[in-house]
Amino acid sequence: MFEDIPGQIYRTLIQDNRWLVLMDGLLVTLMVAGIAIVLGIVIGALVAIAKVNVVYSGRMKWLGVICEIYTTVIRGTPVVVQLLIMYFIIFGAASDKMAPYVGALAFGINSGAYVSEVIRAGIMSIDRGQMEAGRSLGLPRNITMRSIILPQAFKNVLPALGNEFIVLIKETSVLGFIAVTDLTMAAQLIRSRTFDAFIPLILTALIYLGIVLLFTWALKKLEKKLAESDAR
Amino acid sequence: METTQYLIETKELCKQFKDNLVLKSISKTISRGEKVVIVGPSGSGKSTFLRCLNLLEIPTSGEVWFEGKLLTGASEQEIDRLRAKMGMVFQQFNLFPHMTVEGNITLAPIKLGLMDERQAKDRAKELLSRISLLDKLDAYPSQLSGGQKQRVAIVRALAMNPDVMLFDEPTSALDPEMVGEVLDFMHALADDGMTMVVVSHEMGFAREVATRMMFMDDGKVLEEAPPTEFFGNPQNPRLQNFLSQVL
Ligand SMILES: Nc1ncnc2c1ncn2[C@@H]1O[C@H](COP(=O)(O)OP(=O)(O)OP(=O)(O)O)[C@@H](O)[C@H]1O
Ligand SMILES: [Mg+2]
Repeated sequence: MFEDIPGQIYRTLIQDNRWLVLMDGLLVTLMVAGIAIVLGIVIGALVAIAKVNVVYSGRMKWLGVICEIYTTVIRGTPVVVQLLIMYFIIFGAASDKMAPYVGALAFGINSGAYVSEVIRAGIMSIDRGQMEAGRSLGLPRNITMRSIILPQAFKNVLPALGNEFIVLIKETSVLGFIAVTDLTMAAQLIRSRTFDAFIPLILTALIYLGIVLLFTWALKKLEKKLAESDAR
Repeated sequence: METTQYLIETKELCKQFKDNLVLKSISKTISRGEKVVIVGPSGSGKSTFLRCLNLLEIPTSGEVWFEGKLLTGASEQEIDRLRAKMGMVFQQFNLFPHMTVEGNITLAPIKLGLMDERQAKDRAKELLSRISLLDKLDAYPSQLSGGQKQRVAIVRALAMNPDVMLFDEPTSALDPEMVGEVLDFMHALADDGMTMVVVSHEMGFAREVATRMMFMDDGKVLEEAPPTEFFGNPQNPRLQNFLSQVL
């Protein structure tokens, strides 16, 4: 396994420009994760707001039921199965070019369910005096939610959201199931060509670790910036 | 042209939480320029009554009129529009912690399109200099003392140019040494002619500022009178008892 490390590195990265395969895989992973995170935030925020509104106003109960079904089904089934259903059933095995986007959509919808629970908890944690203060100034409910409640809720749940997205980034490594060459799949391809397992897989693990560390660092920066208003 | 209508009128206002009847058919009027101070034992429904006036609490039955318009039963947009004319100050300040003092004051006037950013900021500065807090323009609420927070909260409501100010125990959450600065500001507002409805335990303030006192107990207004009569010659035995405890 450890023999001929220089040779392995050469075969894995340099021979036939294989590093390009890895690089393309990395870009696919980042793109899918990026789209999925944005989708996750948008879907998650909308579902969270819908759920909170239904509870608060007692109106549009059907919307609450739909949201509940969504989070229950998504959180109760494996993401790989969701990915396969999205690709093979809903999109009827889309073209190779579209496959990464189908994957991003599946991961975004998946992430949205978890994010909605996190954001909902964040909204519930905001003192109801905040909503009342906004309403007493004549602000409509939706503007109060957007300008007063959500920014505070978002700030409170940022660490939890960060965790969700770290999980998401790593979960995209199953994209190979729908024939998308992400980072993991790229490493697999190289491994099957060179018959070296050590360098491709360890390198891939290190790259994921690097992405997650970078993401964590950026999140800490953002948290610090948002914590400005807590200064005493 | 407005006729001699009341600024606020409640008709047989009732509020029930589950099977707890908190307001028992209150019919009262408040005219422009009046300063009504409401007192009463804990749980008597003072806050609920105040919060029904701007529909933060939806009455179970009865009517609330404001500036000749029926609030109960008005559309959401209409309620929002009328609410903007009723400032409210809370016991817990309820400043927006993620915004600076300036942001707190300018948010609603800008979002509601009443002022552009420039005007709103000028108004914020003008109001803040009035309470000598201009230097706190860029501070966050967490950087203010309790008394400063409450005065900023009052200013935030004033920035909307309200026709009436509702206060729910504005000094109850303050350290004793900060009560004075808030009451002084409220006193100055009263002197400017602002219509005020104040729930408060500050009897000294009530005596000086109120044009009318209201005593609430068990969801009803049991006595109403100008402060001299109210404190000097209370009629209702429950009020007599209440006053003997708080004075
Ligand atoms: N949101 C609510 N849900 C259920 N019950 C409520 C609610 N708000 C108030 N109540 C009840 O209504 C009654 C009157 O409350 P309210 O806050 O109006 O009294 P108060 O006179 O302001 O008392 P305090 O002096 O303690 O502030 C109390 O029994 C209280 O428990
Ligand atoms: Mg109260």
